Amino acid sequence: MDSTLQQRRDEILAKKAKLAELKQARAIRKEQAAARQSLTGSPSEILQPTPKRGGLDQGHDIDAIISGIYENSRPGSTQPGSPAGGRTTRPTSVISAGQLSSDNESGTGTYRAPLGMVDQGMQTLSIAPLSTVFEYEGQPVEAPPPRKEEVITYSKGVQASIDWSPPRDRGVGGSDSERDESPTRSPRSKRLSRRQKERDEEIRLQLKKEIEEELKAADKAAEAGEVPTTSKENFPFKTLTDEELTAVESSDVFIDFVERSTKVLERALDQQLDYDILADYAHENSNVDEEDEGYGSSGAKKGRRIKEIAQFWDDRWSKKRMISDLGFSPKFPELVLASYTKNPSAPHDPDGLIQVWNLHMHDRPEYIFHAQSDILTAKFSPFHPNIIIGGAYSGQVLLWDTRAKSAPVQKTPLTGSGHTHPVYSIDIVGTQNANNIISASTDGVVCGWTVDMLSQPQEFLELTSPPPSKTDDIAVTSIAFPQSDPTYFLAGTEEGSIYPCHRYDRAGAKAGVDGRVKYAGHGGHAAPVMSLDFHPAKGQIDLGDLVLSSSVDWSVKLWKVRPPAATGPSNTAAPLGQQVEPILDIAREDLVYDARWSPVRPSVFGLVDGAGSLEIWDLNVDVEVPVQKTTPSENKKGAFENMGGRIYMNRSLNKLSWEKNEGRRVAVGGMDGVVTVFEVGGDLGGVETKGDEWSGVKKLVSKLEGAGEGVNGN
Amino acid sequence: MAQNSSDETLALLTRLSQKPGVQSTLILSRDTGAIVRTSGLISKSTTANPNSTLPASSEPTAEAFPNGKKEGGIHNAEDVAGMVWAFISAAGSLVEGLDEEDEVKLLRLRTKKNELVIVPDPKFILVVVHDTPPA
Repeated sequence: MDSTLQQRRDEILAKKAKLAELKQARAIRKEQAAARQSLTGSPSEILQPTPKRGGLDQGHDIDAIISGIYENSRPGSTQPGSPAGGRTTRPTSVISAGQLSSDNESGTGTYRAPLGMVDQGMQTLSIAPLSTVFEYEGQPVEAPPPRKEEVITYSKGVQASIDWSPPRDRGVGGSDSERDESPTRSPRSKRLSRRQKERDEEIRLQLKKEIEEELKAADKAAEAGEVPTTSKENFPFKTLTDEELTAVESSDVFIDFVERSTKVLERALDQQLDYDILADYAHENSNVDEEDEGYGSSGAKKGRRIKEIAQFWDDRWSKKRMISDLGFSPKFPELVLASYTKNPSAPHDPDGLIQVWNLHMHDRPEYIFHAQSDILTAKFSPFHPNIIIGGAYSGQVLLWDTRAKSAPVQKTPLTGSGHTHPVYSIDIVGTQNANNIISASTDGVVCGWTVDMLSQPQEFLELTSPPPSKTDDIAVTSIAFPQSDPTYFLAGTEEGSIYPCHRYDRAGAKAGVDGRVKYAGHGGHAAPVMSLDFHPAKGQIDLGDLVLSSSVDWSVKLWKVRPPAATGPSNTAAPLGQQVEPILDIAREDLVYDARWSPVRPSVFGLVDGAGSLEIWDLNVDVEVPVQKTTPSENKKGAFENMGGRIYMNRSLNKLSWEKNEGRRVAVGGMDGVVTVFEVGGDLGGVETKGDEWSGVKKLVSKLEGAGEGVNGN
Repeated sequence: MAQNSSDETLALLTRLSQKPGVQSTLILSRDTGAIVRTSGLISKSTTANPNSTLPASSEPTAEAFPNGKKEGGIHNAEDVAGMVWAFISAAGSLVEGLDEEDEVKLLRLRTKKNELVIVPDPKFILVVVHDTPPA
């Protein structure tokens, strides 16, 4: 009962709607007819004077036109986005008729002349196309969904007159298959409209059909919205004039787009080189990866191998610059930044440069940042994934943001309040919520800054040499903070000594250099200290008091630092300037520019030297020879490609950086401006460490201490 | 900023078009469907703006894909533009059909002979046709 009632109600509703539509349609039709008459009047009059074709056989023309209408109209509705359809949606016949007759040769004009007439004739003949017309027109007025489809259908009717121009070869080919449909359908609707407009059944049939079409069209919903608008002008054949072209190309939108899209594409292309996801191992046996890690061959076991995975060099920017610092992003392990010194032969380029390279994009940096002065040190902030901090030759501390442009978003002023000497060492210490940038310049000034404000240092500390020395001056080349204590740090100097320093006054010691202890002596460095690195100490045993230092005196030294808070009687009683010897002294065959602990393996560290070698050491394996030694390949020709001799100059490596999360990758770079990234095997990197690695280091340290000082270290 | 100049932009595109394996590149304007830049494609219409072409890949194209030679070697830029347009529309409607709020970000079409990588954007479309790695 309910269902029948419902059904009836529905029917009535449908009828009502249909009636309203019909009424509306009639009105609109009248309007339109009138409008068209008046509009088409003029062009056809103009065109008519060309009697060549009109006189021949008008009947044939009409046939042709009618078939043309169907033929041309279909593609318009089914593939509105297609190029052929582009023209078809011209709003009125008049415009295009006028256009065509004026632009085109007279041959087209003759076609068009009868067309205008036929078009009018058609209106009187058939209501069918017009019945679709009204639905289209009805659209603006609260159209029910099916009308959408009719928008397109209508446009055919109009287009028929327009599209009379010599058919494009493409258009004909494309519409062939669809031609069968439209003639059958339109005649039917023609009959319908002629015979029994009132008969609901038929109307419902038609509606049903429309709904079906609508459903079909639903798939194209995406286009339906934009295509009617775009397809009008969207004509891929369209060519731009020079002015348009330059206008487009200089628009910010375009530049932006190119910047983004080419990055995506380069990544896509580079990714493909690494591995072909469509590889079929069943069919190609030649492509099976030939792993070069034979069992025990060449003494390097599989777990200790080291493999070069990428080299970065940019023709435009890397030229004639040296790498001054390297660092992996803590958030995105595939990003590695490199800071560069100035290019002396390009005075117009900015002196300072940072390029952020992506391991997945080999030929071009992800970001480029500039500065007015050579950048001597830079690193990603561990607390803000978008922020990069750097120290410059001018003494400025700079801050860049990967979301901003290439200029620094903040920098310290060039005034006396901060550094006035080159900043070779910079760090961010503290916690996520409370951290400071600490920078040290070669005149011994150490400043603390907040990330939000670089106009004024929050802390200003001038390091001076403790009493026994002859001068006050202390030239700081590097600083290092222990993992656990952000108020205490070590400063390496140009003379080779390493001083413990306090940021603040504390019991038993004033802020500044702690004069009680000095890491020097005859076992200490005899030349500028190039790097200092506290043990990262993330394991079961705290090894955070181990420090690695490298120097241009051809050595790397391992130190065990005294706890800073030790203010016991033994320490206060100790004479000022007590000298502590290193527990391990590793002599190398060249200048050692950088030495860094592995972030995950307690016994592993890497170093780079003036001969251009990267050495990976494992203290548990050997304390006299590295477990791996390699040099970057020379695929990428750096700054010195044209210099024949001076091989050592070419190859020298300045900096080394571990990827912090997994410890699998090491980036090195040097004089030639090429960044090389290596991957180390499972014994040297990777997060899973065995307990005995830690205890092994502990034992080794105890042994070394005992041997070195003759006192039993704990 | 030097980075913003249109020369730099051009250099980026030129470099892309000269990467090994890249056969052709094409930039379409999404508003008008006009071809803004091409490389490695010929243009059939005589009115095509010669300024919109870039230096193509240095590899001899005939050697690079001999099988394409039959249908006129390099494709016609307008044809490719039209076909790409249709493809993007189809892809767009597919994605919209799955989730109204979704949108197409990248299209990679792998064929037996090569691969098309398409980056659609609200304003422009970048297409690169390149060789698949020798497999």
